[in-house]
Amino acid sequence: MIGPVPYYILEFGDELVYLSPFTLTLFLFALVFTLFALLSKPERQVDIAFGGDAYYAKEISLPEMRFRRFMAIACGLASMGAVVTGDIFNFTLFISLVGICNVGIVASVKNRHVQEAAYQYGVVALSATVPLFGAAAIIAATTGTLSMIELWKAATPAVAPIVKGLLVLGVMGEGMAPFYAAKAEMFRAPGAPYVIMCSLSSLLIFLRVIEVVLVI
Amino acid sequence: MWEEYSIGLLAVFGAGIIAFIALVRERDDLHRLLLLDLAEMVSLGIIALLGTDLAEALILPGLVIGIAELLALSQIYLMKEGLRGGSAPGLNIEVIEADAPLIISILLIVYGLILSGFTGGGVAGLGVIFYIMSRGHREKFEILEMTSGISWAVWIVAFFIFMFAPQLWLLALFLAAVGILLKVTVKISLVGTMWGDQP
Repeated sequence: MIGPVPYYILEFGDELVYLSPFTLTLFLFALVFTLFALLSKPERQVDIAFGGDAYYAKEISLPEMRFRRFMAIACGLASMGAVVTGDIFNFTLFISLVGICNVGIVASVKNRHVQEAAYQYGVVALSATVPLFGAAAIIAATTGTLSMIELWKAATPAVAPIVKGLLVLGVMGEGMAPFYAAKAEMFRAPGAPYVIMCSLSSLLIFLRVIEVVLVI
Repeated sequence: MWEEYSIGLLAVFGAGIIAFIALVRERDDLHRLLLLDLAEMVSLGIIALLGTDLAEALILPGLVIGIAELLALSQIYLMKEGLRGGSAPGLNIEVIEADAPLIISILLIVYGLILSGFTGGGVAGLGVIFYIMSRGHREKFEILEMTSGISWAVWIVAFFIFMFAPQLWLLALFLAAVGILLKVTVKISLVGTMWGDQP
């Protein structure tokens, strides 16, 4: 684990949550940004018409706004789960949930180009579940446990580097929304705070997977 | 044991590589979606190789997440292509329009009830789907949703009995079996009716 020993470990049945300074920081980030998404109003994008001094503001319909807000909040909750859970398989499940929510945030925009980009991103996210779940299963097979607390104790056999690579590959695939920034359509989608949630959740899960890879 | 595991892993990875090569070569978006389902099976295969009851517990959430992503993507595909499915009118075959679907689906549902649990839910759900497909669907979704909610509550009750009164485990087991039977039945029949009249 990055940083000192976790100072709070919650075990309830299969659930395992631990708070160390590292995970707590990430958790607070996710919490604050989820609150932002909950409270803020969507940005109204302004387009400038070329060749004149005219400009027009894009309207965002209420149902669209509601749906994207819901998706952004769900995405925030999923990233909170992903950063505090201490169970490898739950971690992968939360990561794929983040992936679905990111797709949903973008896909609700009624614009053909945006939906095209969202679809392609969804294809990547869905195929990334293969290395993700595969890595979790192989970790369970080599070490016999999925608990990060157990894995930390160094009594467990080492996990092959290629399996760690698979895990990272899976997380990269699920959280690759910001890498789609090259596809400008995806980020030109109106509605500022919600698109930020895509980037933030990806950042958080990338940071968290570093810790997971160091522990296993 | 390790050798068997490695051989299995090799086979599954081979299948995965084939699936991904197909995915790379495919240009049509709809076919890509179908191939993705194939690739999803590979990840379930890797989990299943664990071969313990843990594997069973992990396959279920993996499968659910996979199906959820697939449903979401297919919705995006429909929106993207501007496809509006017409309402499904039911099959126009004489036998189907008589009482045959009713009898067959009752048989399937009864068999599902006898099986109980996850498999039973699958069989009973198949019966419901078959009935709905052959009759066209104008049924009330609220009832399905309510059943789903009740089954969820039953499941939670069973869960709490397991946690706090383990000596009543048989009761809890039966409650959970009934709950998951209802849940899977409703889920599968909802999946069967998801196309159709979108607003």
